[in-house]
Amino acid sequence: MASRSSKKRRIRDFFNIQIFIGGAVIFLLVWLIATMAMGTEQKTLFLPGVTSQGHFGFEANCSSCHEGFKKVSNENCSRCHEAELAEDKHGEKKFRDIRWAEDLEKLDALTCTTCHNEHVQMYGRGVHLQPDLCMACHQGIIEGDMTSHDGFTADGCWTAGCHNYHDHRSISTGFLYDGLDQPPMLPVQELPKIVVEAQLETAPNPDLKSEFLGGGS
Amino acid sequence: MRKLRLLVLAVTLSVSLFLWATPEAVYADNATESELSEITAQWKTSAHALADVNCSSCHQDQGSKAFVAHPNNESCRTCHEAETDTFLLGKHGIRLLEGQSPLTPSKARLAMKPEAHSKQMNCNACHDVHSVDTYQASVDSCMTCHNDEHSLNYKNSKHSQLFLDEESLERPSNISVTCATCHLPRETSESGSKVLANHNNTYNLKPRDRMASEVCMNCHGMEYAFNSIFDNDLVKSNFARPPNIHLKSFDMIRIFQEKRSGK
Repeated sequence: MASRSSKKRRIRDFFNIQIFIGGAVIFLLVWLIATMAMGTEQKTLFLPGVTSQGHFGFEANCSSCHEGFKKVSNENCSRCHEAELAEDKHGEKKFRDIRWAEDLEKLDALTCTTCHNEHVQMYGRGVHLQPDLCMACHQGIIEGDMTSHDGFTADGCWTAGCHNYHDHRSISTGFLYDGLDQPPMLPVQELPKIVVEAQLETAPNPDLKSEFLGGGS
Repeated sequence: MRKLRLLVLAVTLSVSLFLWATPEAVYADNATESELSEITAQWKTSAHALADVNCSSCHQDQGSKAFVAHPNNESCRTCHEAETDTFLLGKHGIRLLEGQSPLTPSKARLAMKPEAHSKQMNCNACHDVHSVDTYQASVDSCMTCHNDEHSLNYKNSKHSQLFLDEESLERPSNISVTCATCHLPRETSESGSKVLANHNNTYNLKPRDRMASEVCMNCHGMEYAFNSIFDNDLVKSNFARPPNIHLKSFDMIRIFQEKRSGK
């Protein structure tokens, strides 16, 4: 009997509160250090919020976008998004024009992160955007400057699919004007054709074999 | 005594933490004779063989001549530069570009087939690199993983019928509509000399006008294309019927047109 109760006491003693707190602190420290050191898969611990649809696949890799604790730079975004910005209608070229240059004071339109915020839940499209972002400069459009747009809501310009801030190619008035009254099926329906030209008439003999069977070269 | 206990606890926790975080194991290297002859037979009838792309083209380092058991996307990139570069920018490849483990369907937010959850996304995931069958890559490969309504409804669509009607050709022709037709669309290079399948599958998903103008409008009129692509139910059904929404933008353009011609 005596030995059993002393064993119980020993077990209770092992898990006393100080040990528990000490253990938890060490665990957290090791976790933090391990997370920093491993560098790739486990860094989700540091995510401040939900990552956007476009970026969540590599969200644990902070350095994809962040250089230390500096602000995310345009250069970083354009590492991947060159194609999306190929025809940037709100790019540098526009704001170098004296007619629009002053607008940069209303909104720093030349910095990606002015409009695109990561890790916050807003209207989802790629990296989160504020739905009424156009209003910084274009509020007049819905308030009488353009009768066709009278009474439109401030958050509808792009969320409704009508306007594309960067790329006007497939949404401009001219484009839409040209496409009116086209039939559902165009007269010619086809895509570019991929042609692969064979260089040999018959297949050659395979030039490796033993290597695949573990024989080495 | 207390210090010792603390140490035991800390070491146990640390070891379990490192075990939990250890990356996945690599596969075995050696093939059997029968596997090798099967692979050789696949390769012999492939476009690679007729283009004089032999085993060593991919399985041997071009500099040191060392054997390479598992060539990666860098190897494919030697010849397919634009395809690989665009692949690395899309959702399928971005993890590789960022130096992480390959994407697996288990990490996706879209519905994926449970049996495919651990499949690793690299060139070989969709293109069996020994047979390089673009038929398989254009629909079947996608369906190995994708399990959402839009994907599952493809087989009932008119687009799918166009594809099935021509299955005897060596690659999907320029009139059939596969998953790849819309999501990895063919683009002509600026010089017009080369046609490329843009492997950045994310590029034309949003904004949707990009998909409408660059893909749908190869075959469909503008209003039909836009009225379809902005109809969520229709997208879900994989375009099972003609569109029944009418975007107000077109009315606005018509009013604008009338005003302009009236002046």
